Amino acid sequence: MRYFLISLLLLTGTVQATEVLIEFKDPQQQALFKELTQELRCPKCQNQNIADSNAVVAVDMRNKTLELVQQGQNKQQVLEYMKSRYGDFVHYLPPVNKFTLILWVLPVVMVVGLMLLLLFRRRVQAHSGAAPELSSTQPPELEQQLDQLIEQYRRKS
Amino acid sequence: MRKLAFFIPFALFISLSVFLFHGLFSNPMERESSVLNQPLPAFALPDLQQPEKIWTPDSIKGKPMLLNVWGTWCVTCNAELAYLTELREQGVMIVGLYYQQPADAAFGEVFNLAALQQEVALKLEQQGNPYQWNILDKDRTLIFDLGVTGAPETFLIDAQGVIRYHHIGDINPQVWQQKLAAAYQSLQE
Amino acid sequence: MIAEYGQLALTFALCISLALAIVPLYGSFKGHQTALQLGNPLSYALFLLTAFSFWALSYAFWSNDFTVVYVATNSNSLLPWYYRLTAVWGGHEGSMLLWLLTLSGWIAAVALFSRSLPLQFQGRILGVMGLIAVGFYAFVLFMSNPFMRSLPYFPVDGRDLNPLLQDFGMIIHPPMLYMGYVGFAVSFAFAIAALMGGKFDSTWARWARPWTLAAWMFLTLGIMLGSWWAYAELGWGGWWFWDPVENASFMPWLVGTALIHSLAVTEKRGTFKSWTVLLAIAAFSLSLLGAFLVRSGVLVSVHSFAADPDRGLYLLAFLLVVVGGSLLLYALRMHSVRSQARYELFSREVLLWGNNIFLLTATLVVLLGTLFPLVHKELGLGSISIGEPFFNQLFYYLVIPFSLLLGLGPWVRWKQQHVQPLLKPMSLVAIATLILALGTLAATQSVQANLALLGLLLGAWVGSSAIFELLQRLQQFGSVKQGLTKLNASHFGMTLAHIGFAVLVVGVAMTKTYSVETQVRMKAGDQVELAGYQFRLVEVYPLNGPNYTGEAAELDVSYQGDYVTHLHAEKRFYTVQRTVMTEAAVHARLSRDLYVALGESLSNDSWALSLYVKPFVRWIWLGGLLMALGGFIALCDKRYRRAAPNKVTAKQQEPADA
Repeated sequence: MRYFLISLLLLTGTVQATEVLIEFKDPQQQALFKELTQELRCPKCQNQNIADSNAVVAVDMRNKTLELVQQGQNKQQVLEYMKSRYGDFVHYLPPVNKFTLILWVLPVVMVVGLMLLLLFRRRVQAHSGAAPELSSTQPPELEQQLDQLIEQYRRKS
Repeated sequence: MRKLAFFIPFALFISLSVFLFHGLFSNPMERESSVLNQPLPAFALPDLQQPEKIWTPDSIKGKPMLLNVWGTWCVTCNAELAYLTELREQGVMIVGLYYQQPADAAFGEVFNLAALQQEVALKLEQQGNPYQWNILDKDRTLIFDLGVTGAPETFLIDAQGVIRYHHIGDINPQVWQQKLAAAYQSLQE
Repeated sequence: MIAEYGQLALTFALCISLALAIVPLYGSFKGHQTALQLGNPLSYALFLLTAFSFWALSYAFWSNDFTVVYVATNSNSLLPWYYRLTAVWGGHEGSMLLWLLTLSGWIAAVALFSRSLPLQFQGRILGVMGLIAVGFYAFVLFMSNPFMRSLPYFPVDGRDLNPLLQDFGMIIHPPMLYMGYVGFAVSFAFAIAALMGGKFDSTWARWARPWTLAAWMFLTLGIMLGSWWAYAELGWGGWWFWDPVENASFMPWLVGTALIHSLAVTEKRGTFKSWTVLLAIAAFSLSLLGAFLVRSGVLVSVHSFAADPDRGLYLLAFLLVVVGGSLLLYALRMHSVRSQARYELFSREVLLWGNNIFLLTATLVVLLGTLFPLVHKELGLGSISIGEPFFNQLFYYLVIPFSLLLGLGPWVRWKQQHVQPLLKPMSLVAIATLILALGTLAATQSVQANLALLGLLLGAWVGSSAIFELLQRLQQFGSVKQGLTKLNASHFGMTLAHIGFAVLVVGVAMTKTYSVETQVRMKAGDQVELAGYQFRLVEVYPLNGPNYTGEAAELDVSYQGDYVTHLHAEKRFYTVQRTVMTEAAVHARLSRDLYVALGESLSNDSWALSLYVKPFVRWIWLGGLLMALGGFIALCDKRYRRAAPNKVTAKQQEPADA
C-alpha cells in the first residue's frame, strides 16, 4: 500500500534531477581520479586505498586528489605531491630504483631460467642414452584400449 | 654441481625466514617521515585562543621546539598532556598544532570556535598545559603538508625552522629519553 | 563442563597425534607390521576426538557460555543462532580448531581410502601427517586455547562477532578454504613418504593425484567464495584486492595448479620427478607460510587476526622444522634420481613444463609483491607499498603466454607431436576465436578497448580450443555419442576446468574495461541514469535488526522504460561493536550486475548513493566454479577408485590416455 501511494505521488510530481556528488570537466579527469584513489594507499589504515577508506586522512587525501585533478594536474604530478608528504609508502607501485628493480627482473629471470633448465635436462638425457621407446606414434584410441586391457589384467590378478 | 642445485630451494627458504624472523619484531605500521630536514612548509594559521593573531613559519621560529599535533577528541593525546607539561617545566618549548576533525554535516555539526576554545581551555586546565600557544588548523592544511596521518604526532624543529625529527605516537618518558632528548639537547647548543 | 570436556578431548588428541607421528613411522623403518597397522585406528581416533572438541566449542557458542573467553570475545546473545555457530571460526583460536578438524578429517580420509596402498607407504604418509598434526595440536592447546575460561569474573554478554563476518559467506568460505590449505598436507605427506622410501616410480604420482585434485578443488571453491563474499559485503564492488591475506591463499593455489599438471607428467611419463616432489612440498609450505603471515602480524592486512609475536615465533619455528626439514630431505635424497623418459621439443611434456613455468613465475610475483616491502624495510631502505598496479601489470604479461599455451596444450601428444596434423584444427580454433571475440565485442560494446579485446581473444582461444579438442577426441570413438560414454572422466574434467579459466579471463577483462559507477545525492523520488539503466530511489526508511539498527533504501530500476527490478540496499549500524556495515543491493545477470550501496545521509533528507553497473562480473565466479567442478569430475574418474595392485612393480611406462 505504501509503495502504491508513493508511486502515485511520483506520477503527479515532476521527477527531480539528481545531483552527482563529484563533478568532472570530462571523462578523462573522472577516470584519472578513480585510478589515483585506487592506487593511493591510506597511510593510517590497515592496507586500504583511499577510495575505500573513510579515515580522516584518507578523506583529506581524496579531497586533495580531486582538487589537483580538477586543476588539471596529471597522474605523475599528483603522485609526487602525495609522496613528498607521505612518502613512497602511499603509492601501491614502488618507485623503480636499483633495488626495487628486482621486482621486475626476478620474474623474467625465472621464466628464462626454467626454460633453460628444460633444455639442459633434455641434453643430459640425450647424452645419458635413455632407451628409445617403442610406441611413439600410436593413435589415442589404441592407447585407451591398451589402458583398458591393462586395467582388466590388473583386476584379475 | 648437480647435487648443490638441489639445495637451492632450502637456501632460499632459510634466507626468507631470516627476514620473516626480523619482521616479527618490527611494527609493520611504522614508517619513516618524508619531511625530515626540510624547512616548515608555508602556512598562515590563526592562534586557537586569539584568532586575530596569525602564525607563520617566520613568526614561530627562533628557538628549538616541539610541535605537537593533538586534539581534545584524541584519547592518547590527552594521556600525554601530563608528561608534556612536565617537559615544559623542564624548559622545553612546546607548541600545539590543533587537529580539528571534520564537522559531520550529517549529524548537524557545525564548526564552533567559541565552543572549541572553551573545551580546549578546560581540558588544559584539568590535564596540564604544556603549550606556549596553540595553532588552529581547522582544515588540516599544515597537517596535510607535514604528512601527519593522525594524532598524536610530534615534530622537533630547530631554531631555523627545519624539521629534525618526526615522531608518530605519544611521547612518554621512554620515548623522550630514547628518541628525542639527545636531539633536542644538541639543537640547544 | 562441556568446554572442559572439549579441552580434555583436545589434550587426548595431542597424545594420539604424537602416537601417530611415532608408531607407524617406527613400523615402516623396522618392518614392524603391528605398528604399521596401528596407523588407521589412531587416525580415526584423532578425528573423532577433534570432532568432539569442535562440537564442544560450538555448544559453548550455541548456549551463550560467556565464561569462555573466546565465546565472549566473538559472540553475543543477540546474534542469530546460525551466526553464533559460524562465530566458532570467527577468531584466531576457533579458526585454528577448524584447521585441526579439517586436518584430522583429511588424515582419517587418507587412512580410510588408502588401505589398498602398500602398508609401509601408507604408514609413512600417516606418520608424516601425524608429525604435522603434533605441531598444530600443540599450537592450539598451548598458545591459542579456545576453551579458556574467565572465571570467576565473566562478562554478562559477549563483544559480538565482527559485523563483517555476519554474512552467509562466513558460513562456507573458511571451511572450504581450510579444506584446500590443509588438503595439500596430503600431497606433501605423499611426497615426503616417497622421499623417505627413495622410490620414485610413477605409482606414487598416481596415488597422490586424486588427493591433490581434491585439495585443489576445495581451495578453488574457497578462494572463489571469498572473492564473491568481499564483493557482496564490502560495498564498493571490488572482487580482488591483492591483500596479503588473499595472496596467501592464491600462492598455494597457483603452485597446486602447477602440481596437478606436473603430477600428470610424472604419472604418465615417469619424468619431471624431482620437480613434482618439489612442487608438492612447495604447495603445502605456502599454505603454512600463509598461516604464518595471517596470524603473526608481520604484514598489514585488512583481514588478519589479532597479531601476537609469540604465536608468530612458534609458527615460524614450526615452519622452519616442517619446510626446512623437508627441503633438506629433498636436497639429500632427490639428486640421485634421474628421469629416463625422452621427449621432443614439441610435445605435451614441454607444453606442460611451459604451464609450470608461468604458474611458478606467477607465484613468484605474488610472493615478491607480498614480502618485498618487508624485506625492503628490514634492510633499512624505507617503507614501500606493493599493490594492485604492480600485480595487474605483471599478471597482464603472464596471462598472455599462459593462455596461448593452454589453448595448444590438450592437442599435443606425449613424447612427440608433428606440426602438420595440428595445422588444420588449430587454424579452425583461431578462426573461431576471432569470430567469437570480435562478434561479442561488436554485439555488446564498441570495438576499441584493448584490455577487453585481449581478454576476449584469449578466452575464446582457450575456450574454443578446449571444446574442439573434446569433440575431436569424442569422434575418435566412432561417434560423439559413443565417446561420451567411453572417454574417461578426467578428460571431461580437464576440458571443463580449461573452459572455466577462459570464462574467468573474459570476466576479468570485461569487468575491468566496461564497469561504470557514479556517486550521487538522491532524495526519495529522484532518478539517475547509468549505462542506460534508470535508478529511481523510492524511499529510505529506518531498520531494526536483532543486533543492529540502520537504514534501508528501496530503488526501482528500469531499462529504456521497461521495469527491470527492485533493489533493497541497507546500511547497518552494529550497536555492540559500533561499526557501520554496507549491505549492497545486487541484481545479478550473466551479462551484468547492478550494484547499489547506500552511503551516508546528507542534508535535506537526501542520501549519498553509489551505483555501479558491472558487465560480466559474474563470469569471474562462474569461471572459478567451473574450474572447481572440473576438478570434481576428474576426481570421479574410475581409475582413482580402482584398488591399486598390492604388489607394485616399478613399471616405468603406463601407456594411457591423458
